[in-house]
Amino acid sequence: MRTRLTIAVWMIAMLAVAVVLSACSREAAGTESGKDGGLVFVEGGKMVNVRSNFYGKNVILSDYYISPYEVTQRQWREIMGNNPSYYQGEQLPVEMITWYDAVEYCNRRSMKEGLEPYYAIDRNHADPNNRSDNDTLKWTVTIREGANGYRLPTEAEWEYAASGGKKSKSRLYSGSNDADEVAWYWRNAGDHYLSGDWTWPAIENNRNRTQAVGGKKPNELGLYDMSGNVREWCWNWYEDGDGSAAAKSGSLRVVKGGGWIGDVSNGAISFRGKFEANGFGPDQGFRVVRSG
Amino acid sequence: MFKFKKKALPILAAAAMSLSLFAASSSAATDYWQNWTDGGGTVNAVNGSGGNYSVTWSNTGNFVVGKGWTTGSPTRTINYNAGVWAPSGNGYLTLYGWTRNSLIEYYVVDSWGTYRPTGTYKGSVTSDGGTYDIYTATRYNAPSIDGTQTFTQYWSVRQSKRATGSNVAITFSNHVNAWKNLGMNLGSSWSYQVLATEGYQSSGSSNVTVW
Repeated sequence: MRTRLTIAVWMIAMLAVAVVLSACSREAAGTESGKDGGLVFVEGGKMVNVRSNFYGKNVILSDYYISPYEVTQRQWREIMGNNPSYYQGEQLPVEMITWYDAVEYCNRRSMKEGLEPYYAIDRNHADPNNRSDNDTLKWTVTIREGANGYRLPTEAEWEYAASGGKKSKSRLYSGSNDADEVAWYWRNAGDHYLSGDWTWPAIENNRNRTQAVGGKKPNELGLYDMSGNVREWCWNWYEDGDGSAAAKSGSLRVVKGGGWIGDVSNGAISFRGKFEANGFGPDQGFRVVRSG
Repeated sequence: MFKFKKKALPILAAAAMSLSLFAASSSAATDYWQNWTDGGGTVNAVNGSGGNYSVTWSNTGNFVVGKGWTTGSPTRTINYNAGVWAPSGNGYLTLYGWTRNSLIEYYVVDSWGTYRPTGTYKGSVTSDGGTYDIYTATRYNAPSIDGTQTFTQYWSVRQSKRATGSNVAITFSNHVNAWKNLGMNLGSSWSYQVLATEGYQSSGSSNVTVW
């Protein structure tokens, strides 16, 4: 009897350990060298964050994985073999990245890691759905449905993750209602804390710049710099609106989270930034996701 | 300014002198004092009483000094008297401002030094005793309050230099309406609006009172 009880307890204990290990592997899926590429698991569902543009909308997200950090210059160089960043540093986020650069990175990283590239990229035929007057590239980029490779987040996925997913506490910025706790933006990203109105000369004179990733408090999911540091490319056309009825064409892609140049309002989870797909700047980077 | 090296930027000549610029405020009818330089050469700017300012410059890079209003208006009539306007080289005497949503940078240029700015010609408007040619230009990947953006500039440039040394006005609504008729719509949110002296790789002096 006692032996049976011991075995039963042992089995229950082992089962519990297995469950915990399984849960851990989904909460923080592996390391940089692991099969999940150091991504964090995001359990899908409806938007919890009442401040989000997607709150109360009929948008239900599937599970996915997201990088806890913006893509660093080291990560970029390992895949692409170059570093276009204006401010150089291994642990700084890569910037001066166009939307096209970002989707190309996703595919190359997928191939390097034995995953199926998520995008079909046609550089030779201008995308008829791209109505921008300023975009001189207009690569035709389409999705390879079912591919398991790296990709850009949709705007809804970005907001959901920035909000903390199911754990969201409906904060204004990703992880806090106080931008200074979680975001590098124009006031705090230079030599001194700037006051007054936004002024470019003041920002330039203050030697504002990007900062090493992960330097501020993470959000509810353990994601860093979703607000501030560099703006992050999303897949969607800006013209998609709240995403409930995706536009077939557009002239601008969505950028989220704000960066070290822009006003603090840009760092709010709900702020919809926009930029031509061929645009680049020292405050323009991205992070990657993979479908769950 | 950013010194982008990544790719050649197709910036128009008219756009090359333009800048994002914002500064502290003062008081009186005008409530905005702007004094910006990229650090090149020597620029001595004096924030005078009321709406007056003066500036002398030599061998500069790019600078902008001016007075105006924290919040611009499409219906404001800007009065000024440029008692001194003596650019040697490249410089503008111009109404200058921004709107957001859409992000537009605008100029109404009354006088200039050696270079009369141009862009993509759209039409013309007659106002305040002269005719202004209307141009658009685009600034690519430039800093703004919404981060790096590509945005449009609207320009009204007087066909011949306006005489200085007396009280004159810029009836801005005439330009706004002309632009609108050409499909050039300003944004819904108004940032500052100043009567400015802008110089680029030049020398000179100006003394301007704005009200």
